[in-house]
Amino acid sequence: MGPIERRWQRGPSRREALASLAGLVAGSPLLAAQRDPRSLTDHRRIPGFAEMTSVFDFEPIFHANVPQTVYDYTAHGADSEANIRRNRDAFGWVDVVPRTPIDASAVDLRTTVLGLSLDYPLFVAPTALQVALHPDGEVGMHQAATTTKTPFIISNNSSQPAEKIATSSSGPAWFQFYPRRSLDESRAIIERVQGAGCQAIVVTVDQQATFYERTQHLRNLGGRPRTTAAAPGAGAARNPYRVSEGRLWYEWNYLDRIRPFIKGPMLVKGILTAEDARLCLEHGAQGIVVSNHGGRSLDYGPSTLEVLPEIVEAVGGRVPVLVDSGFRRGSDVMKALALGANAVCLGRATRWGLGAFGPPGVQRVIEMIQAELVAAMAAAGRRSLADLDRTAVRVRFS
Amino acid sequence: MARQTRRELLTRVAPRDELVNVPEFEAEAERALAADVFRQIAGGDRAAFERITFRPRMMVNCLGLDLSVDLVGQKLFAPILVGPIADQRRFHPEGELATVRGAGAGKAAMVISSRSSQPLAAIAAAATTPLLYQTFAADGAAKLRSQAQDAERAGCTAVVLTTESPDTSAGRRRTATVDWSLVDTLRSAATLPVIVKGVTTAGDATTAVSHGAQGVIVSNYGRTAASGQAPLEVVGRIAEAVGAQVPVLLDGGIRRGSDVMKALALGARAVLVARPAMWGLAAYGADGVQTVIELLQTELARVMGCCGTPTLGAITDRFVHVHGPVPASTSDQER
Repeated sequence: MGPIERRWQRGPSRREALASLAGLVAGSPLLAAQRDPRSLTDHRRIPGFAEMTSVFDFEPIFHANVPQTVYDYTAHGADSEANIRRNRDAFGWVDVVPRTPIDASAVDLRTTVLGLSLDYPLFVAPTALQVALHPDGEVGMHQAATTTKTPFIISNNSSQPAEKIATSSSGPAWFQFYPRRSLDESRAIIERVQGAGCQAIVVTVDQQATFYERTQHLRNLGGRPRTTAAAPGAGAARNPYRVSEGRLWYEWNYLDRIRPFIKGPMLVKGILTAEDARLCLEHGAQGIVVSNHGGRSLDYGPSTLEVLPEIVEAVGGRVPVLVDSGFRRGSDVMKALALGANAVCLGRATRWGLGAFGPPGVQRVIEMIQAELVAAMAAAGRRSLADLDRTAVRVRFS
Repeated sequence: MARQTRRELLTRVAPRDELVNVPEFEAEAERALAADVFRQIAGGDRAAFERITFRPRMMVNCLGLDLSVDLVGQKLFAPILVGPIADQRRFHPEGELATVRGAGAGKAAMVISSRSSQPLAAIAAAATTPLLYQTFAADGAAKLRSQAQDAERAGCTAVVLTTESPDTSAGRRRTATVDWSLVDTLRSAATLPVIVKGVTTAGDATTAVSHGAQGVIVSNYGRTAASGQAPLEVVGRIAEAVGAQVPVLLDGGIRRGSDVMKALALGARAVLVARPAMWGLAAYGADGVQTVIELLQTELARVMGCCGTPTLGAITDRFVHVHGPVPASTSDQER
């Protein structure tokens, strides 16, 4: 359990925050004597755009730029956030096997995924409400994605209409879709976004009954009453256990029913077992996204990296396998590719870029990961995706 | 801000509605109790739970989610019972009377200790959910006989025989050789089913059942277990040995709905929650007990919804993965 979790658990934040603030102000030299200059250890400076050296550098700037609730919406995970931590820990359980290095210029990461010719096996993952991060919102994110030749997946919960986003840039756009109980409604949405130019539909099937403790804490701080709307998909009738039933109706045959409405490929996002991967294929999926929703679905679920090998094996190359949740570095991407993923989707990393510096930030984040990926491949002596197989990594999952 | 107000801020418990999970109740109980009293119900061993992740299945219809379970002839609303803790007036002026009201409001069955600080009749009068009565093997056959009769008279639905002897100093237990004939003693004294608490091996479980026990509770009394010996790590073996004949319950370390799910997946029929109920009692009385129970029920329902198990019967060990020791990370990983 990390320090943040411990702090939340010892909560409530308001009480301790007030108490410690009182102590801070009471003891502060600022109150006592109005002295200057500040001590050397007080010195802080927000780094500039040119000083960003890794994706992680963008996060504190994003944090400084946006209100606490906006920051927490990006940061939070389900319940105690153990799953978010596990996603990151998992990369520490996969080592790259050394081989004679090659020159970076010899590395070629081009690939084709479901008709898209890509320079790098990277997508911008669908994430919601991007205009809260920067006024350009999803349009800005898509434009930056296009600049880096990265396909953009539009979230079903975008802050701008899908038509506006899809037409704002020439790069490819897909649409992420949450199942609707009404087939008519499902059809209407799918046909509308396809008409706007979205070339594939990604159906998200997780987060069936999720709760964000961090969001509830924020509501408590704001003095708002407790509500189950601290969770996605909430608002429908509640059962005797106080859980919203809004997303408990999902069934595999729903995919059969919407398949005829979808002109291009249909992908299924949120798969974490080999058995479910096989069911995706049985029900007409042309692609699978191994995902735990960035640790925002089931708290003690597995990391995506841990389950990637069994899903790749179950799929057996019949359809592309994408993966997301926790990717921050080119080496993270390389590990997933070595374990058999066809491409990696970037969620929070792109949000940090957008929230920190707007569309140029997104561009920089993606370019960093692209460059790190090339460097990681070159250092490991792997010149292409065909060359990057299981022998490139040593796995220590337990 | 005035010193006195600041002290008040630090020692007054938070509004109950602000707490979002059960572990948060522990800090509130610490504020509400004297240090030496709090120490007796502090902590818990969760290490085994942290080593298990789920294997969630998508697209399984979970409408009409049902957490109900049968236990010794009673249908329970959910597989979460309030576990026995002696002398609850240490934690709240009304002691067990508040606990049983909270348990009833939360629709949870409750195990009453024979060392309760309120009379059994009064507790039974306030109960609206099944009560089980916990006796101690160390009290001897004669006492057990009369306790079993008391329990039956009070309307309890089962007698729980605790095989280890209690000790008033926190966390210290004497291990005595189990006198299994006491199971027969209890069975002959009353018509109530007898559940044996404190079983930690398949052998003990089998012996208990051979003496007529109609349930076993895997428990090591809140102590920290040696590696591989925590209740969660042995419940599977015990369920294999006797689970087809009698329900196997798990006691120890339950703090989250996901913990309950893991216990069920590994073979438990239901779980006991003792210390967290006392945290709720100490900080908020009956309402606190109710909230602790309801949080666990809701979290369990959420986990079931996310895993694709609409009923308890659907939960098997296919839905969990028990991990080995955490591998050392060789790379410098930022978070």
